[in-house]
Amino acid sequence: MDGSAATLPVRAEARRRRFDHHARSRLMAWVLGTLTVAFLLYQWLPILTLSLLSFSGPTGGTTFPMNGVSLHWYRELWDASIMNDFKPPLARSFLLGLACAAVTCVLAVASAQAMRGGFRGHNLFFYLILLGIMAPGLLVGFGFALLCRLLGVETAWNTTAFLVHVSWTLPFGFLTMLAIFNRFDPKLEEAALTLGATRWTAFRRITLPIVMPGVIGSLLFGFSLSYDEFARSMFTTGADITLPLAVMAQLDRQLTPELYAIGAATTLTSLLVILGCTIALWLWRRAQRGPNR
Amino acid sequence: MSTIRARSAAAYWLALPAALWMLAAVVVPVGMIVWVSFWGGRAFSPASPLTFDNYTRFFANTIYLNLVVETLRHTLLLMAVCGVLGYCIAYFLVMKVRSPGWRTALFLAFVIPFWTSALIRAIAWVPFLGVNGVINQALLALGIADRPVELFLYSRTGITMAQISLYTLMASGPVVYMLAQIPPELREAAMTLKAPPTVVFWRIILPLTLPGVVIGQVLVFLNVMADFATVQTIGGNKLALLPNLVINFYEGAQIRAAAVVAVLLMLCMLAGVAAALRVVDVRRLGAT
Repeated sequence: MDGSAATLPVRAEARRRRFDHHARSRLMAWVLGTLTVAFLLYQWLPILTLSLLSFSGPTGGTTFPMNGVSLHWYRELWDASIMNDFKPPLARSFLLGLACAAVTCVLAVASAQAMRGGFRGHNLFFYLILLGIMAPGLLVGFGFALLCRLLGVETAWNTTAFLVHVSWTLPFGFLTMLAIFNRFDPKLEEAALTLGATRWTAFRRITLPIVMPGVIGSLLFGFSLSYDEFARSMFTTGADITLPLAVMAQLDRQLTPELYAIGAATTLTSLLVILGCTIALWLWRRAQRGPNR
Repeated sequence: MSTIRARSAAAYWLALPAALWMLAAVVVPVGMIVWVSFWGGRAFSPASPLTFDNYTRFFANTIYLNLVVETLRHTLLLMAVCGVLGYCIAYFLVMKVRSPGWRTALFLAFVIPFWTSALIRAIAWVPFLGVNGVINQALLALGIADRPVELFLYSRTGITMAQISLYTLMASGPVVYMLAQIPPELREAAMTLKAPPTVVFWRIILPLTLPGVVIGQVLVFLNVMADFATVQTIGGNKLALLPNLVINFYEGAQIRAAAVVAVLLMLCMLAGVAAALRVVDVRRLGAT
């Protein structure tokens, strides 16, 4: 009797406090939610505005009012003169991106597999690859330009720029593959090996399909990081420039809605590539699951 | 037993191409910068005598020294803003959003711009910031300002605004990763033991996400320190930070001076990364 009388206020106090915490937690969620949405707007508004302004009329300037809605600036982009023709740089960037994606993917899988082997010096190897992310493009590009000059090597988008781009994209693919291998169950490989598969067959038929999301991820990193790279390209590309360099050169000459059009178009391209990869991964997973059912 | 034998020769052969590639494209070029920064004389030749002259010349100029301080201050400001903003967003996305659909949608809205060109995203800020830009038009329309504010384009404010939108994700991403790793039971246990939410946050959540915070700060630090493109796009040619000085010297054919600035930049970065590595072990992150 005595005890319950004593605990009653305590219990009420606890209930009040829990309610308090609950209200505070909800308030917190609202504050953080508002902040997040505000930031998302802040992040997206410039991109959306740029896309909108790229459709402005022939007399439209680089800001509002748009003076009508047209495809004028896209047409300008299409029949550009040699001076500001974006088509060859676009083709170069695209090819370079594809090449980087392929090489990144192969090297990332190989080096992540090597890490699993735990060879001597694998820690050093890990940091060596990570250096590619840590070292800024400005320093890598500048240093490589100096090296080329010392060795008398002519810089070009498909030789020196390619070499430097892969050093930037590879670490991302490598980390992706390491993360995937961390969650990989080695027992599956063991089973295949016990059943008499060679290491290569077990890798090809068991390991590779399971880590496929990582492989596609590193392809995506390889393409998109190379396609958008500016600092490294600036020092190592030579006369035939890539798309980001062409964009910057045009910005230096004059800012026109044409530049918005190229911006909107490349952003859309990037988004489509991501979408394509996601759909490919999804289809691939479905096809994998198919026969088992 | 696995498809790769432990400590086998095969592991070496698999690692070799990537290692050589990184050595040739990153390590040697960076070493090259350090070497060139000590070159004396005028010709571009490996036979140049080695001196400290390039450094003494740089440090004799107070304008350049101020630029170093300015760059560090600018970087610290961005680390603070992006760090706080990034943590709040990460906390909201992982801990507060209950529905998986919403979480994915918000997360994608947060991440997708990162996959597009940073250069284009920086340029996208230009129509916003100008004297006739969107921000000024909005301020005038709302009656907040009675004439255009010339604060944004070609100014440090504009650069900061654009860089916040570019780099917050870098501060946030590692925190999202660490937050998602915290088992819900930990929080529940603390709550059962009557710890108030603030105590749960400061004593449990924050220490567990600290490695993520530090990694995020390192990423922002490294990227802002070296980001000359945003400064060039939005600051025009009126403003420069340390990385722009490298470009200016390089384009002015002052290779040695450019190398000196690059080495200073590198030293700042190394100091930052070393400080961060004292706090967290990067290698352990993937294994948790």
